[in-house]
Formats: sequence, structure tokens, C-alpha cells
Amino acid sequence: MEIKLRVFRFNPEKDAKPHFDTFIMDVDPNDRVLDLLEYVKADFDSTLALRRSCAHGVCGSDAMRINGRNYLACKVLVKNLKSDTITVEPLLGLRVIKDLIVDMGPFFENFRSVLPYLINDDPLPADGRERLQSPEQRERFEDTTKCILCAACTTSCPSFWADERYVGPAAIVNAHRFIFDSRDTAAAKRLEILNQQIGVWRCRTAFNCTEACPRDIHITTAIAEVKKAINTGKLD
Amino acid sequence: MSYMKTTLTGYAAYRGREGHWAFLLHRITGLGVVLFLAIHIVDTSFVYFAPQLYVDVINVYRSTIFGLGEIALVFCLFFHGVNGLRIAYLDLFAPKDWTIDKTRRSMLVALGISLVLWVPSAGWMLFNLLRHNYGLFGG
Repeated sequence: MEIKLRVFRFNPEKDAKPHFDTFIMDVDPNDRVLDLLEYVKADFDSTLALRRSCAHGVCGSDAMRINGRNYLACKVLVKNLKSDTITVEPLLGLRVIKDLIVDMGPFFENFRSVLPYLINDDPLPADGRERLQSPEQRERFEDTTKCILCAACTTSCPSFWADERYVGPAAIVNAHRFIFDSRDTAAAKRLEILNQQIGVWRCRTAFNCTEACPRDIHITTAIAEVKKAINTGKLD
Repeated sequence: MSYMKTTLTGYAAYRGREGHWAFLLHRITGLGVVLFLAIHIVDTSFVYFAPQLYVDVINVYRSTIFGLGEIALVFCLFFHGVNGLRIAYLDLFAPKDWTIDKTRRSMLVALGISLVLWVPSAGWMLFNLLRHNYGLFGG
């Protein structure tokens, strides 16, 4: 099938403002949008800049806006877009470095702010090995372990568009992953960090994050559970 | 891009689903209510500060354009209220129901309830508007 691919282009060293380049190409309906971008680099314009690594939906490096909505380019098939014209733009709300590459700095800064690592300074168990956990305790935060930090959720959030200091859905998901981990001892500290205007209370439940997540994480549920934990002081 | 430009670009161009539409409609209806409240507080203050002006303001309220505005205001109140209850219920009492299917459906239900409440009210207000301003229906 013939596709018209419109790609956002911006080279800060040459361009005063962004523009779109259009490429007409014959593609297989089962091609992914990432394949199309690779065709552009191989056959049309090798200067096109984009991030990609595993190309199989695991590394999360090729999140971008495709036909106006956040996806991983490596997980979207052309046939599923149901359109002969495909428009590819960088993630919204982060500074464009070049073409489809954005500055992920503010995103990772927000991620780091919620202490996204296991904190437990208690002595090790008597056998000196692992801190045991029941299947139910593990299940409590299973969903939020799936995050790959692609930023598709955070950059689809109207609150983040308005203020990049808002920690955003991805950071809250990663805080949730440790807040509800029975082995962790810093839940209260994380809840304190998130209990501020640029924490969970900036969430307006627009739900774009959950719709955009390539890992199908129930993000709005996780955010609501963190809000509830702050309100009740309980981690059930 | 400035925050304002990014935000407006996202509002208008991001192709979200029912949650995004509900968010936008909630914002617009919220702004509508705030605008009315601001005007209403100012005009009511005229009773004390400028009684004659208050009479003029009431006459402006009776104009057709304001009548239509009040019909829109009632929709703003109903949608903002019903959607607010939907969000509060899901966020406070049923976080697990923030699923894609249920959120899409609950937004449409909230819109449906708002319309069911609004249509009879709008009909009644329109009836009175036509009666008083245009002499229809025996006015």
C-alpha cells in the first residue's frame, strides 16, 4: 500500500522553526512505523534523527506522537492506524533537540525525585539471604513493575504540558512500585514527596496516560491508590 | 515552545479518547461557571454600590443573548457537577475501576445524565425566553 509519511523536522543549527517533510512510499500493511522511519533514513534522508534501540517494545526509546497520539513506533503497525497519511512528531512537553529526539532530562529528573529504588536499612534476615515476600504481597505492585520509562504517559498528560515540574504519571507509577512493596521502608517519605501541588494532586484524571501506555499499566488506578494512601495513611 | 503554547497545542491536537474529551469539557464548563459567577458577584454588588445600574443590569439579563447564555450555563453546571461526581467516585472509592473500558463508558454515562437533566431545563428556559422576549405561546 502507498503511504504518505509526514515527519516533523527541526535542526536547531539550521532551522529557524520546525517544518514537516513528506515521503511517499510503498509499504507492507504489517510494517511498523519504526520500519517506515528506517526506510526514510536508508532511502530518502539519512540525517533524520530519532531514538531507537531494541525495536521490540522493551527499551522504550522510540516513544513519539503518531497521528496525534503517543505510541512506541516499534509497536504500531501501519494497518492499525487506518490511514494513508501518517504524521510523526516528537513527544509533546519536552524540548526538541533534533527532529524526533527530545530532551528527556526533566522527565528523568522527576523520576529520580520519587526515590525509585528499594530502601531498606534493616539488618538482613537471619539466613543472610533474601527478604521473603508472599505472592499476595508481590501481586500488590506487580502492575507498576512493568514501566519501561518511555515517557509516553507523562508527555500525554495535560498537567505536564502546563508545567514540567509536575512529577507526572511515570514517576508516580515508579513510586507506587516501591510504596506498596512490603520489603521497602521509605513509603512515608515517598508519600510526603508526592503530597504536594506538583505531586499526585496535579493529576486531573484526563486518562491519556493509561490510554498511551504501551505496557497496559493501569496508571490512573496507581495514581488514585497513591492519593488514597496519602489521605488515609494506610498502604492496603 | 512556551508552556501556554504546548498546553493549547495538546488540548487541541492530542488525539485522546473519552477521558481527554471529558477533561476538556470539564475545563470549558468550569470556566463557564466561573465566568458567570464573576459577572453575578459584580452585578449583585450594584444593589449596594449603584442601585440604578442594577436595574439596567437586570434588563441586560433579560435580553435574548443572555437568555441563551444562561441555557448554556445550565449545561455547564450539570456536566461539571455530574462529571465531578464521576471523578470523585472513581478516585476516592473505586480506583480499580479506572480501566480503559469503564472510563470510556463512565464518561459517556456522565454526558448522558447531564443531557437528560439539561434538555428539559433548556426547553423550559427557551419556552420562557420566547414567551417573554418574542410574545410567543401567549406571552
